[in-house]
Amino acid sequence: MAIAEELADLRERTLAEIGAAQDSAALEAVRVAVLGKSGTLTGYLRSMGSVPPEERASVGKAVNAARVEVEEALAAAKAAIDAAELTAAIDAAAVDVTLPGRAQQMGTRHLINGIIDEVSDIFMGLGYKVVDGTEIETDYYNFTALNAPADHPSRSMQDTFYIRDLSGDASRVRGESDVLLRTQTSGVQVHTMEDWDLPIYMIAPGKVYRRDVADPSHLPQFHQIEGLVVDRGITFGDLKGTLDYMCKQIFGPERKTRFRAHYFPFTEPSAEVDVSCGICHGEGCRMCKGTGWIEILGCGMVDPNVLSMSGIDPEEYSGFAFGMGVERIACLKYDVPDLRMLLEGDMRFLRQF
Amino acid sequence: MKVSLKWLSEYTQVPSDVKAFCDRLDLTGTGVEGVETLGESFDGIVAGRVLTCEPHPDSDHMHVVTVDVGAAEPVQIVCGAPNIAADIVVPVACVGAVLPGDFKIKKSKLRGVVSCGMCCSQRELGLGSDHSGIWILPDEVPVGTPMAEVIGSGDTVLDLEITPNRPDCLSVVGMAREVGAMYQQPVEYPLAADVAKLAAVTAGADVAEVVSVTVEDAERCPRYTARVIDNVKVGPSPDWLAERVTAAGGRSINNVVDVTNYILYLYGQPLHAFDADLLADEAGHISVVVRGAAEGEALTTLDGEERTLTEDMTVIATPKRAVALAGVMGGLDTEVTEATRTVLLESADFCNGRTSRTSRNLGLISEASMRYERGVDENMCELVSQAAAALLAEVSGGTVRPGVVDVYGKPAEGRPLTFRIGRFNAMMGAAIPTDFIEDILVRLGCAVEATDDADVLSVLAPTFRPDLEREIDLYEEVLRLWGMDRIAPTLPGGRERVGTRTAEQATLRRVNDVLRASGLNETMTYSFAEPGDVERLRLAPDALGLAVELLNPLNAAMSVMRQSMLPNLLRSVAHNQARGVKNIQLYEIGTVFTAAEGRKKAKERKKLAGVLAGSMADTAWNAPAVPFDFFDGKGVLENLARELALPKVRFRALSAEEAPQLQPGRAAEMMAMGAVIGWVGEVHPLVCDAFDAAPPVVAFELDVSALVKASRPARNYVDVPTFPAVAVDQAFVVDEAVTHEKLSQVMASAGGKLLESAALFDVYRDEERVGAGKKSMAYSLTYRAADRTLTSEEVERAHGKLVDKVQKATGAEVRA
Repeated sequence: MAIAEELADLRERTLAEIGAAQDSAALEAVRVAVLGKSGTLTGYLRSMGSVPPEERASVGKAVNAARVEVEEALAAAKAAIDAAELTAAIDAAAVDVTLPGRAQQMGTRHLINGIIDEVSDIFMGLGYKVVDGTEIETDYYNFTALNAPADHPSRSMQDTFYIRDLSGDASRVRGESDVLLRTQTSGVQVHTMEDWDLPIYMIAPGKVYRRDVADPSHLPQFHQIEGLVVDRGITFGDLKGTLDYMCKQIFGPERKTRFRAHYFPFTEPSAEVDVSCGICHGEGCRMCKGTGWIEILGCGMVDPNVLSMSGIDPEEYSGFAFGMGVERIACLKYDVPDLRMLLEGDMRFLRQF
Repeated sequence: MKVSLKWLSEYTQVPSDVKAFCDRLDLTGTGVEGVETLGESFDGIVAGRVLTCEPHPDSDHMHVVTVDVGAAEPVQIVCGAPNIAADIVVPVACVGAVLPGDFKIKKSKLRGVVSCGMCCSQRELGLGSDHSGIWILPDEVPVGTPMAEVIGSGDTVLDLEITPNRPDCLSVVGMAREVGAMYQQPVEYPLAADVAKLAAVTAGADVAEVVSVTVEDAERCPRYTARVIDNVKVGPSPDWLAERVTAAGGRSINNVVDVTNYILYLYGQPLHAFDADLLADEAGHISVVVRGAAEGEALTTLDGEERTLTEDMTVIATPKRAVALAGVMGGLDTEVTEATRTVLLESADFCNGRTSRTSRNLGLISEASMRYERGVDENMCELVSQAAAALLAEVSGGTVRPGVVDVYGKPAEGRPLTFRIGRFNAMMGAAIPTDFIEDILVRLGCAVEATDDADVLSVLAPTFRPDLEREIDLYEEVLRLWGMDRIAPTLPGGRERVGTRTAEQATLRRVNDVLRASGLNETMTYSFAEPGDVERLRLAPDALGLAVELLNPLNAAMSVMRQSMLPNLLRSVAHNQARGVKNIQLYEIGTVFTAAEGRKKAKERKKLAGVLAGSMADTAWNAPAVPFDFFDGKGVLENLARELALPKVRFRALSAEEAPQLQPGRAAEMMAMGAVIGWVGEVHPLVCDAFDAAPPVVAFELDVSALVKASRPARNYVDVPTFPAVAVDQAFVVDEAVTHEKLSQVMASAGGKLLESAALFDVYRDEERVGAGKKSMAYSLTYRAADRTLTSEEVERAHGKLVDKVQKATGAEVRA
C-alpha cells in the first residue's frame, strides 16, 4: 500500500477514534498512540529518511497535514470532554445549601453592658467623658455632698448596705458605719467636681447596691448611668435637649419625651423624664399603665449647694445632672420578665442578646 | 395622699376633665398614682323595701325577710340586725356585690335558711361609724335605686404622690393653694371662717387654770398648744364628717377622733385628743410635760402595741408617766372613748428628724409622723387648734374653755429672698414674663415686692414652705408652674469638651471584642459572696486578704464582698448544668474587694474571669464537638495577648501549692514582660464539687490593671517577605520534662536570623517506638532570608546547626 493510502487510512481511523473517545483518558490514549514518541504518525515523521527523495516533499506534506488535522481534532475533542467533565464535577459537588454553615461561635455581650455601651457612645459623640467610680463609698460622697438630709430614710440600714469600717475612726452615722456600698452613681458627680478642671461633661455608668430582696422587679445590685455637665451658661433647655436627643437615639426618633417636675435633693429644679410608650404610642396601654408615658430617668439643674460644696461658684457656673436605671431601660427594650435572670448566667438567656 | 375632688372643689375650681387635671398635676410635680371614683364600689347594692319580716325559726335574734329590690321576684335574706322590720327601705347588697374590705356577697344558708344578700349598716358600706343596726333610708327612695345614686356621691378621689419637700401639699387646703397656682385662679381659704365659730361655743373657766405645759427641750418641740373641751358626748360622727374622713382614706371612729383627723386632712396639722380626766392628778390639774423618753421606757400606743422607747424619742407625759409618743401616735390608756367627758386637744410641732427616726425605728408610720417628718408649720398650730376646738364642740355638743396654753419659744418667720429675673430666664433658657413670676409666687403664698432694680424682686417665703430656702427654690416654683414643656430643647454650646476614653476603658473595649470573638458570653454575677468561698477554692482563708464584711447583709450567703470572681462563675456553671445546658462559655469583668485593718475604704480591683465547660458547640454534621481543656482557656488568653500586643508573654506552670484551686499539671500563670497578669487552668475537681459544678471546668482570672499596664497601643510593622522560604520538618525525641517552651527557646537562639518560625505540629508518645518517659515533638521549621533566596546549602548548614544545638541543650534524639 502506498504511503499516501496508509496515511489516509491512519487519518480516518484516528479521527474515528477521537470521535469515539468518551473521556480525557481515552483521548490521551489516542493522542499517545498517534502522536506520542512511538506513535504511528510520529513513526512516519521519523521514517522520512527511508522515503525516496522524490516523494519526500509530497509525503512530508501529507504527514504534516494529517498531523495538523489530528491535533485540531484532538484539541476540539479535549475541549468538549473537559467542558463535559467540569459540568459533571460541578453537578456532583452540589450541596444542600440549607445545611448549617461552619463557623467559630461568636460570643455575646451582656445586655446591661450593651446598653451602657450604647449610651456611652451617644454621649461620647456629644463630647462627654466616660468616668468610672468606686463601688464602695463613704456616706459623705453618697449622701451628704449630694444634699441628702442626715435623717433621710434612704440612709437607713433598711435601704443601704453598710460596710465594717476598719479604720478605727469613730463612726459618725448613727452608731453605724460611714462606709457603704454606693446606692447611686451620683457620688461620681462630686468626685468629678472636686477633681476635674471645668468645664465638666461626663457620664458615669456603674454598679450600685440597695438593700432590696431579689424578686422579678428588684435586685440588690443593679446599674445606673449618671450624667453631669458643669459649664458657663448651661440652661434647663440644654438639659431638655440633651436628654431628648439621648432618648430618641436609644428608643427611636419617633418617640417623644416629657419632663415632669419632681424633687431630688441634689438638683433644683428637678424633673422626671418620661418617654412616649412604644407599644401604644401615647394612647395608653398596659405597658404604660394607661398613661401613654413610661418613666425612664430623673434629672435636674445641679443644686447650687452641691456646686458650692465642691468649690465651684454657682453664680458663675451652672450645670445639669441626670441618672437613669439601666435595668429599667433593658426591661423596656427587651421586655425581660424577671430581673434575676440578669445575674444567673443562664446560657439560654445570655445568648439571646 | 388621698384627695377628694368634691372636698377640694369647695375651696377652688377643679377642672371637670379629670384626665387633663391629672396630667397637669403630674407635669407640675404632684404625681397622680391612682384615680378612684367613689360609688363604683357600690355596684350591686340597691335600695330595697322589706315586704315581710318573720323571726328565724332556729334563732332567737335573726329574722327572715323578703325584700323587693326592683327585680321580678323579691329576695329572701336572713338578717341579724335588731332594727329590721317590715315596710322599711334599706340598702341591700345583692349576690355578687363586693363590700368594703373585699367582702363578697354570696348565696348562703344561715341556720338552715337560704339567704340571698345582705341588708347593710352604714359601716358595712364604708360610709360611717354607725353599726347599731341597718341603715334605714328615707321612705321615698324608689326600690331598686343604685346606692351610688342614693348617696349622691360620685366623688373622685386622687391618690397623690407628694414629694418630701412639699409638706404644705399634705392637706386639702394646701392642694387647693397648689391648684390655684396651677391654673392661676382664686382660692377661698376656710380657716378664718372655721376659727370664727369658736366664740359661740366658748364657755367656762380659762384653760390655764387646769392645764400647764412644760416643754423640756424646745429643739424637740418648737411649739405646744393645749385646749380643753368640756362636756363632750362621744358618739358616731355626722354623715358629712364620716364621709370626708373616709374619702381622705381614713376610717370613721367617733366624732372626737374624726374631728382631729378631719382637721389634719384639711389643714395638714396633726392633732391629738386626750381623755383629759385620765391625765389629771388627784386635784384635777393637768400637767403636760414634753420630754425625751428614758432609755427603755415603755408605752403602749393606740394600736395596742407595747413600744420600748429610746432617748432619741420624745414623749408627752404627765409627771407620772408617758401618755403619747410625740408626733407619731397617742397612748392607749389616755385615748378618747365613749366614756370620755373632757378632751385635751394637742396641736403642736415636733422635731422633723427625731420624728422620722422614731417612726422608722419603731416601724410605725402614721398620718401625723408622715407630716411631722416633712415639716409642719408651727405658726399655724394655734389657729388650727381654734378651728378644731370649735368643730369638736359643735359635733360633740361640748364647750371650749377660753384661752389656750401655748408654749412657743421663738416664732418662725418667713424667709426673705431675692429673685433675679434676668438670671432666672438665662438659667432656664426661657423668657418668662415678670407678671407671671410675680403672680405665681403670690399665689403660692409668698409676699412679693418690687425693688429699685427692675430686674430684682424681693420675696418673703411663707413659713409653711420650708423648702423655699434660696433663690433657686423660687426658680423651681416658677418653672414648674410655667411648664417645663414650654422650654425649648437646646444642646449645650460649650467649646472645651471632647469625648475621650480612659486607657482602661479603651483596653476593656478591645478585651470584650476579643472574648466575644473567642466565643465567650459575657455574664454578670453578684458582687456578694458567701463566707467560706475562699476556702471552697481550697485556698487558705487569708490567701486573698481580708474580706469586706457587710454590717447588714440580706442573708448569710451574701454577707461578704467577693474576693475572687471564680465562685460565682462556678455557681453559674452549676446553674446551667442543673438545667441541662452542657456547653458553657462565660466571662465577666467585675470588681473584687479586699479590706485591710486601719483602712476605711476597701481596695477594689477589676478582674476579668472566664469559665468554659462542655465544648464550644455540640457535634454538628460537619464538625465534631471538641471538649474544652486547658488549651481552650489558654487559647483565649493568647488571643488577648495578640490583640492587646502584650510583650513577651509566657505561661509558667503553677504548682499545687501555688494554685490550689486548679488541677495540678493543668495550671499556668500568664505573664507579660515578667509581670503577672493572671492564671488559667482546669479547676480542681474538689473545687468544682464544692460549687456543685461538674468537672472539667476550664477557668481563668486576669487582673485588669495588669492587663492594661502591659498592653501596647500598636504593634511594630515587619516587612512582608519577598523571598521564598524553605520549610523543613524535624522531629525531636525528648524526655517528658523538656517543655515546648525550652525547645522553642533553643531553636530560636540556634536558628538565628534565618529561622523565621518553628511551628509544633505533632506531639507523639509511644513506648516502643519513642521510648518510655519520652515524647516526639515534631516542628515545621521555616527558613527565610529577608534579602535573598536561600541556597539549599545555606539551609542545610543552618538546620544542621539547629539540630546539633537542640540535641546538646536538651538531650534530644533526632527521629527519622
